[in-house]
Amino acid sequence: MKNNIIILGGGQAGVYAAREIRQNDSKSNIKILGEENLLPYERPPLSKDFLLDKKKEEDLYFYSSDVLKNENIEFENISINKVDFENKKLFAKNDNVYSYDSLLISTGSENKKLTLDNNLKNDIYYLRNLEEAKKIKEIVSNKNKITIIGGGFIGLEIASSLSQLQKKVIVIEIGNQLMGRIIPKQIADLVQNTHIEHGNEIILNKQIEKITKINGHYEILLNDNSLIETDFIIAGIGSTPTVKLFENTNLRLDNGIVTNQFCETSIKDVYAAGDVSNFYHPFYERNMRLESYQHAQNHGICAGKNIAGVKTEYTSIPWMWSDQFNLNLQLTGICDEYDEIIERGNDINNGVIYFFLKNNKIRGACGVGIIGKVGRDIRITSKLTEKDNIVDKQILTDQNLKLNKLIQK
Amino acid sequence: MSEENWIEVGSTDSIEEEDLIRFDHQDKTFCVYKLTDGFYATDGICTHEAVHLEDGLVMDDEIECPMHQGIFNIKSGEALSPPACEDLQTYPVKVDNDKIFIKID
Ligand SMILES: Cc1cc2nc3c(=O)[nH]c(=O)nc-3n(C[C@H](O)[C@H](O)[C@H](O)COP(=O)(O)OP(=O)(O)OC[C@H]3O[C@@H](n4cnc5c(N)ncnc54)[C@H](O)[C@@H]3O)c2cc1C
Ligand code: FES
Repeated sequence: MKNNIIILGGGQAGVYAAREIRQNDSKSNIKILGEENLLPYERPPLSKDFLLDKKKEEDLYFYSSDVLKNENIEFENISINKVDFENKKLFAKNDNVYSYDSLLISTGSENKKLTLDNNLKNDIYYLRNLEEAKKIKEIVSNKNKITIIGGGFIGLEIASSLSQLQKKVIVIEIGNQLMGRIIPKQIADLVQNTHIEHGNEIILNKQIEKITKINGHYEILLNDNSLIETDFIIAGIGSTPTVKLFENTNLRLDNGIVTNQFCETSIKDVYAAGDVSNFYHPFYERNMRLESYQHAQNHGICAGKNIAGVKTEYTSIPWMWSDQFNLNLQLTGICDEYDEIIERGNDINNGVIYFFLKNNKIRGACGVGIIGKVGRDIRITSKLTEKDNIVDKQILTDQNLKLNKLIQK
Repeated sequence: MSEENWIEVGSTDSIEEEDLIRFDHQDKTFCVYKLTDGFYATDGICTHEAVHLEDGLVMDDEIECPMHQGIFNIKSGEALSPPACEDLQTYPVKVDNDKIFIKID
């Protein structure tokens, strides 16, 4: 039987799902509906190599239109603004109606916005998509002093890129360390030092009281009454799953769309994957929502399999990276459930890793090092986590001992 | 095939099984691997960004980049997993008297 499969959201999870469905099902109609007038593209370079002009727009697309055409996957540029799950229909602003038999929701996430009491909404920039990246790139080319509000991954990556473009960069972070509590303070401090060494100013523990625009420049008043003058403001203060469309429906929402280990939502024939989904992870026996490249890809593929009738559990151990200056930071597993922390290495040149253990088994790890230095060990850690064995802590601590010894055991 | 194209990399016991070593020659960097069925060689730098694959993980016939987990087939150089999408150059390898040679043109 020929099915109508609709993928709502034309990003990474959506396109990987589409191709996976086609691998397993040559007959169904597959249509991706995306509100950006672009084929699915990679977001990580937006804050890094795209700003630095090392990557161009054409380098960002996952697949060419030919690849999608050959696989008979349709992409339509349209924004959906209403759903009727009962009658299996989607409605667009232009009155188009789309009927589906199976639906994948992969609408991603969106940036949180600053709440300002004066009318400066259009003066603060955010980075989520290519259009915003282009705008930021164009405007900063004739600005000098740039302030980033929020010391999370994206804010710091932008700070690193703009510093490399010879801009004077200030980062204002409300918390007492960069990148939030999930990152070990020692690693956050190493990253902070690198920013400072490159001339970036990092202000921690400060809140913004007021932003005033004066003659095309801005004055930012902080809660200790200090004043920062700046030419341009970018905010990266976190993100939320894109679920507004579903708020008044019976789709179960809780920090995103709640899904089980098969990417199934609370409504039959409706699936969700990627940033938007708060999924059940059978290994960790809990729900989680991730915003990561690897997850969007693997979760999309898993959803694709399940939609095509190949029942598949999602068991991928989480992994993500952030690149700032010549540092590469990586996180695997979960770092918020542990009874012991073990440190491996103390020099950023050789890499520093913190392992999070519970009952003598690895649950996750976070590491940072000069380009590529922690990658192998973090990858082995993902495998060790999956194995769920009690680990030899001596090998974990001693950088002279190879971690893969633990896998072979 | 002229003899001088074969460059000596080192002895066969300089690489552990399922592992690799980095080999620099003139301005180029290579990776030489010992897999269960023999020795192989590829470019030493990832095709995604300028990152040395010597810090990557060898798994069966694959090398995984330490930076963003792009994966390449060591024998064919094929890019198998994004963000790597451009293939890796491979080079012929021979073993003579317990010494490894690679052929770079
Ligand atoms: C600047 C930036 C840098 C990043 N860097 C890294 C990194 O270094 N490492 C890492 O691991 N991860 C990184 N990420 C995260 C990673 O890119 C995301 O996790 C991934 O893109 C999520 O994929 P997705 O398919 O779930 O959502 P998205 O790729 O966001 O796609 C969702 C799509 O759905 C569309 N959509 C939403 N609502 C509708 C609607 N109603 N109708 C039609 N279309 C709709 C959106 O416009 C969007 O195109 C970064 C993200 C950003 C923004
Ligand atoms: S540098 Fe190798 S995958 Fe990115």
